[in-house]
Amino acid sequence: MRTHRCGRRRVVLAMLVTGGMLAASCRSGKSLTNAGIERKPAPTTAATVPVSTLPGETLPPGQTVPTIPPTAPPTTLPALLDTLPRCNTAALNSASAPVQITFWHGLANELGVELQTLTGQYNSSQTKVHVNLEFQGGYDQTIDKYLQSNSATRPDMVQMPEYMVQQMIDTKSIVPAQACAESSKYDLSPFLPQALGAYATQGVQWSMPFNMSVPVLFFLKARFAAAGLDPNSPPGTLEQLLAVGKQIVSSGASKYSISLDSDFDGGGGWYVEQWLAKGGEFYADNQNGRAAPATRVLYDGPAGVQLLTFLKSLVTDGGAVYVGDNASGTDTLLKLADATEPAAMTIATSASLGPILAFVRGGIIPGITEDQVGVGFMPGPGGGPGALVGGASLYVVAGKGDAKAAAAWDYIKFLESAQAQSDWAAATGYIPVRQDALSLDPIKSLYVSDPRFKVAYDQLLGSKDGPTSKGPVIGPLLQVRKVTAAAVATVLTGGDPQTALSAAARQADDLISNYLLQNP
Amino acid sequence: MAIDQVTGARRIGRYTLLMVAAVIVFFPIYVMLVGAFKPGNKVLIDRLLPTNVTLDTLRQAWREGNLGRALWNSVVVSVVITVAQVATSVLAAYAFVFLTFPGKAIVFAIFLATLLVPLEATLTVNRHIMQQLNWLNSYRALTVPFLATAFGIFMIRQVFLTIPKEMREAASMDGLGHFGFLGEVAVPLSRPTIGAFALFSFLTSWNSYLWPVLVTTKSDYNTVQTGLKALKLASLDRPNLVIAGTVIVALPIFVMLIAFQRQLIRGLTAGAVKG
Amino acid sequence: MKKRRWRDFGLAGLMLGPSAAVLSLFVIYPLVKAVWYGHQRCDASLSKCRTTSWHQYIDAFRSNEFQDSLIVTLKYALITVPIGLVLGISLAVLADKHIKGIGIFRTIFSSTVATSVAVASVMWFFLLNPSVGILADWLGGSAKTPGLLQKQGLALWAVSASSIWANLGFTFIVVTAGLQSVPKDLYESAYVDGANGWSRFTNVTLPMISPTLLFASVVLVTRAFQSFGEIDLLTAGGPKGETTTLTYLAYGQGLATSNDGGLRATVSVLLFFVLLILALVQFRGLEKRVHYGN
Repeated sequence: MRTHRCGRRRVVLAMLVTGGMLAASCRSGKSLTNAGIERKPAPTTAATVPVSTLPGETLPPGQTVPTIPPTAPPTTLPALLDTLPRCNTAALNSASAPVQITFWHGLANELGVELQTLTGQYNSSQTKVHVNLEFQGGYDQTIDKYLQSNSATRPDMVQMPEYMVQQMIDTKSIVPAQACAESSKYDLSPFLPQALGAYATQGVQWSMPFNMSVPVLFFLKARFAAAGLDPNSPPGTLEQLLAVGKQIVSSGASKYSISLDSDFDGGGGWYVEQWLAKGGEFYADNQNGRAAPATRVLYDGPAGVQLLTFLKSLVTDGGAVYVGDNASGTDTLLKLADATEPAAMTIATSASLGPILAFVRGGIIPGITEDQVGVGFMPGPGGGPGALVGGASLYVVAGKGDAKAAAAWDYIKFLESAQAQSDWAAATGYIPVRQDALSLDPIKSLYVSDPRFKVAYDQLLGSKDGPTSKGPVIGPLLQVRKVTAAAVATVLTGGDPQTALSAAARQADDLISNYLLQNP
Repeated sequence: MAIDQVTGARRIGRYTLLMVAAVIVFFPIYVMLVGAFKPGNKVLIDRLLPTNVTLDTLRQAWREGNLGRALWNSVVVSVVITVAQVATSVLAAYAFVFLTFPGKAIVFAIFLATLLVPLEATLTVNRHIMQQLNWLNSYRALTVPFLATAFGIFMIRQVFLTIPKEMREAASMDGLGHFGFLGEVAVPLSRPTIGAFALFSFLTSWNSYLWPVLVTTKSDYNTVQTGLKALKLASLDRPNLVIAGTVIVALPIFVMLIAFQRQLIRGLTAGAVKG
Repeated sequence: MKKRRWRDFGLAGLMLGPSAAVLSLFVIYPLVKAVWYGHQRCDASLSKCRTTSWHQYIDAFRSNEFQDSLIVTLKYALITVPIGLVLGISLAVLADKHIKGIGIFRTIFSSTVATSVAVASVMWFFLLNPSVGILADWLGGSAKTPGLLQKQGLALWAVSASSIWANLGFTFIVVTAGLQSVPKDLYESAYVDGANGWSRFTNVTLPMISPTLLFASVVLVTRAFQSFGEIDLLTAGGPKGETTTLTYLAYGQGLATSNDGGLRATVSVLLFFVLLILALVQFRGLEKRVHYGN
């Protein structure tokens, strides 16, 4: 019996020792993403990037590149499109049986239900194409599964969020939307230029915007009123946000003023890009990667530090509550509905509006009614409108045969139609991607009867046109956002903004140069 | 039996402790059960009391989560894996115990060594193999890599070793071939161990999570575990729906637990059997 | 003699064939291949790879992410295994009496064995959810804002709570079986010797069930090191990587590894070595037990 207990003790001891040994002092301080890669000094890495027209060095933060137009010179334009997979939209006419296509998407909850409704309408409206919707669990899962697939296992069509543009191009697995549009003589003129521009680089329209959103401020009017604030004028500037927050908390109208998160697709990443754009700043060099491939991020400059310092002060002085990385995507919003320790405001994608109203309408939260939910522009530097396009777009997958591509394009045309966009926007809170959808019901009358739905539209359309008003195009933008989000989390829990951002920027730069090495 | 007798105050004390422990252990299950029978807009009301009881939520979860299909997939996959693992393990174990062939020790050592390779070390390549074979989204992908396991071979070999060699010799004299001996003597003698292993193998494949996540992109091939994951991701705004889903998914194994309690204990303690 | 040795060769091949095929195709070959991929950097689908150097393993091992995950995993095992064992033993001892209604209690105590990782995790996700979870409301404080699963410093404990609960049924069943195999006369003689309840427990029960406990702890440690589902469903590795275990680092969503099949292979092979060391350590423990059995 003695040997046993001894043996047991030894097992535990050995475990501890091994564990301790493994974990002890062999940490290199480097990121996993650099494993196996010889890290050269930064200028050398930059030189390997094909930026022939740039004078060698990258530019200081904020400086624009006057010599480079925002898109590639028109002379190379036909050349690039000609090298890409073609789209023979006439192939659908010669298909005898209905063409079955698989469509991977990442829309959950209400949004997924609405997409099912639209797809059902499409499937029953014609006999040439049948769309099989496959929900992959969210954008994250859709991305991972798509990138891990090969030409045989990819779907015929896929929805990808806005931060995936460059990576999708680099998979060399897509039929550019422009090819299909040209083949079918599809008229792109009714579309909002912002919507198309987000998914066009190097003069090619890669995908079609479908669900377009921007972050907006959600607030509860009753709590504003209880704090003696005007429930019809939400804060616009960051200074106002801080002041309003203080008043909400000190008046006791709500335990917290605003709920903040560090989701990479929210407060930790997407909003950072939005805030920098609102402040007229670039997020990455080479004009956000639109003049030439971005080689490094610029958010660790003074503007970024100032922004995060402000967010930190919101938590320390402004009564804001940090709810973590919002992994479920609903934590910030649910904080408004909290029974005992609620917040009065949050920032969330405009696409939450429809789901929130449906949620509240069901009577799930005692004491909160539909008309109490207020929507305002996302507060930012300088206040006022202005936003980068968010949401997702639709890609036709290459290598599936002409009929499938043509079928996918037919379905895309349905989803892009003015009527479908009107229905979709009214049900969700997304912004219609085309102007003429606004003259059709239900969105036409909804924008009048419930102006909350129009806030996102006005915010996007109010963007000043300039080089910083187009979001960053970076291959590993998803990963870059994740390291940025970690920095935001550090700051919101008390860390130093400059230190956190500098560390994140270094990791982001590594990610970018590794990506360029892998995708020359 | 003096010490087994519990009387008076100590008896009340023990019952109290048992009750407290039972309430704590059962609490999460109870909360889920209550939630599963509530309509969508009442999940936050009376979270501990079965008020507003309805079957709608369960029905809706069943429909929207496509849980019928998921249950069927899980049954098919788990049964195929279990039957195959039992068959391959019994055959291999028999060879290792009753057959003479050169290199037996080395082959056995190699087989045994595969026990040290965790699933997690091979998943990346295995997924790649499935993709190359174009097997993603199929029962083949969900079952084929698991049709044999060194654990089963080892466990059944241990019990075959306890069968006296003389029995084999006697059977051989009676004209009973290897397969005859296997079917009529070795397997019947080892039935409890084989049953325990079968249950173990069934539970393992039923509960498998990471592999199905990696090799399926179609909801038609969801198992109950990945179906539940999908339901959670798709319906976070309707917690009661997901809660109802967990109840549906857990139910078959609860029924099994009650029906096969003894075998289950054997199955779970399978690794602990001597040897 | 030679002939005798080869006597059953064909039949052995037939009987071993299926197992050998499966094990070599889906265990041995993938492992070897993974070791190879491990010194390459690839795209996510492993279709485009370029060889770096074997140093990639060392780089990966020493990287912040791997070291952090290793510590997270060790912590997770050190939380879940001892607490799980103590609770399992307590329940088993408590229920190890032939009194009226004990069957119901035993069923309840073993009931969590029916919950898979996915089921248990989804249940706890809702119990702990700061907005709809009843436990979050009861606990208040950090459980409410931002919620235990989101709170740095507590998230790993919250995941552990879920996992301890989910494994309780298993531990209870195994320990109960162990207790029932302890000969009753040992207790009798201890009782006659005047040993009280606690000393009977430490001097008779614990040593007698130590093989069972060893087995249970081996299983629990292995489960802790291979935990994926609970992380995936409860925290997705957050907050700030505090619940990113080794398995999650290799297979989680949107991590450095999910974009690079080579790096995923590197991490999974390293995970294999960590588990191998662990297995060898545990094997020594098991060896002791076998000696005891003899």
